[in-house]
Amino acid sequence: MLVTWKYRPRDTFIQRLDPRTRFIVLLCTIFALTIPEIWDYRFMVPLFLFSLTQFLLARIEWKDIRRTLFFVFILVFFIIGLNGLLSGRGGPSAALDPTSPIIFQALIPGTDWGITITISKLWFAMTQVLRILAMALPAMALPYTLDPNIYGTAFKRMGVSDKVSFTMDLALRFLPTFSHDLTITVDAQRARGYEVEKLKGGVIEKIRKLAPLIIPVTMQSTVTGEEVIDAMDLRAFNTAPRTWLKELHYAPRDYFMIGLGVAIFLACCILKWGFGIGGFFVPDFFTKFILG
Amino acid sequence: MNNNSTWEFGTRQVVYGAIGAALYGALSWFTNFLAIPAAGNISFRPAVAVLIFFGVAYGPIVGLLAGFIGNTIGDQASGYGFYWNWSLGNGLMGMVPGLISAAITDFKAQSQIIKAVGWGVLGIIVGMLFASLTEMFTSGIDLATAITGYFVPTLISNTVNVAILLPILMIAFAGMAARRGR
Repeated sequence: MLVTWKYRPRDTFIQRLDPRTRFIVLLCTIFALTIPEIWDYRFMVPLFLFSLTQFLLARIEWKDIRRTLFFVFILVFFIIGLNGLLSGRGGPSAALDPTSPIIFQALIPGTDWGITITISKLWFAMTQVLRILAMALPAMALPYTLDPNIYGTAFKRMGVSDKVSFTMDLALRFLPTFSHDLTITVDAQRARGYEVEKLKGGVIEKIRKLAPLIIPVTMQSTVTGEEVIDAMDLRAFNTAPRTWLKELHYAPRDYFMIGLGVAIFLACCILKWGFGIGGFFVPDFFTKFILG
Repeated sequence: MNNNSTWEFGTRQVVYGAIGAALYGALSWFTNFLAIPAAGNISFRPAVAVLIFFGVAYGPIVGLLAGFIGNTIGDQASGYGFYWNWSLGNGLMGMVPGLISAAITDFKAQSQIIKAVGWGVLGIIVGMLFASLTEMFTSGIDLATAITGYFVPTLISNTVNVAILLPILMIAFAGMAARRGR
């Protein structure tokens, strides 16, 4: 059993971008929506389309991404969407507008307790789903389109210290080794009658039965660590700034994408804080559509 | 076992941070088949015990790096994407028990194991509370959903994992360190 990365090299616009560009644009999108607290659909729809375009440009095969999409959509629609629809909380107070027309109500007889769905809450839930997808879609594409071997270099070039970047690089190098150790341990325990596929009992019993796998691999890794420390000390690690083997260079497309991301962030901040545009409101066309 | 000052960040911390991260990522991926009933979006991770063990054994910097990078790797290997608040929450979960690392001198002693488990649970509370509460800003959920939908399931599952596996890891580590003389 080896850890298989979801990454595959593809000749796409998204994969030709510098990894730093991907992270910067993702952060710009998240910050544009969260820092000035944008809830206006006129901002949300273009931002969602911007994220969706990036996701589609990545050209990830359906068979690769369907499981992830399934889990993310369950999370977004059933947990976040339903939470917005039923409670109306977690966003602007305008979503709880008491004057908003009620479209569904089920109260416990004799009490004020129950479910009340208003047009305002429904619109809020839809906005909420769109908002989360706008932030999640570019993040979801990362594992499939960003080479794991470039993470350390990318973080270093984004200003993270040598030591933290090297930790990330080293972790990715260790991963196949420990996965291999885990395979050997599983095989060795199987030879003793241990069946990982048939862990019976309750949750506590299952955890206890995982100990014969987790303990040997963890202990072996601590031994490996001492050897690696000796090797790195012999090569004078941590005595002077490091050089990095992989080089990253921005291309014109990277400047374009970063410029676009920063412009989106600034536009959201200026319009919200400078002109008061971008807050939550229910558009008239939606109210008319629901009420007929 | 603990010859360094608590906040030292040298070669040892880099290497054990990387090892902790790789182990946390690999074991999280391996145990993905264990799901938490009624909380489908949160996976059940026995590997949390390994993360907290690295914090307790090697200090807060190692715990922070192992948690942050390990969660990022685990999510990348599973194809879930990059969620900075959960990665940082996992980092805090490893860092907080690391604060007690200087006081853990005998990994076999019952009192010290209890202390490590207690700090581990504190780490889980701090880390998962941070991640759950930041979901209010990133996902726009309300406080009740953040607590009942995210914090409580992760707190319970991680606490159970740590209470069972951390003592075993500490005793195994004490035996191995005694044999190696480090």
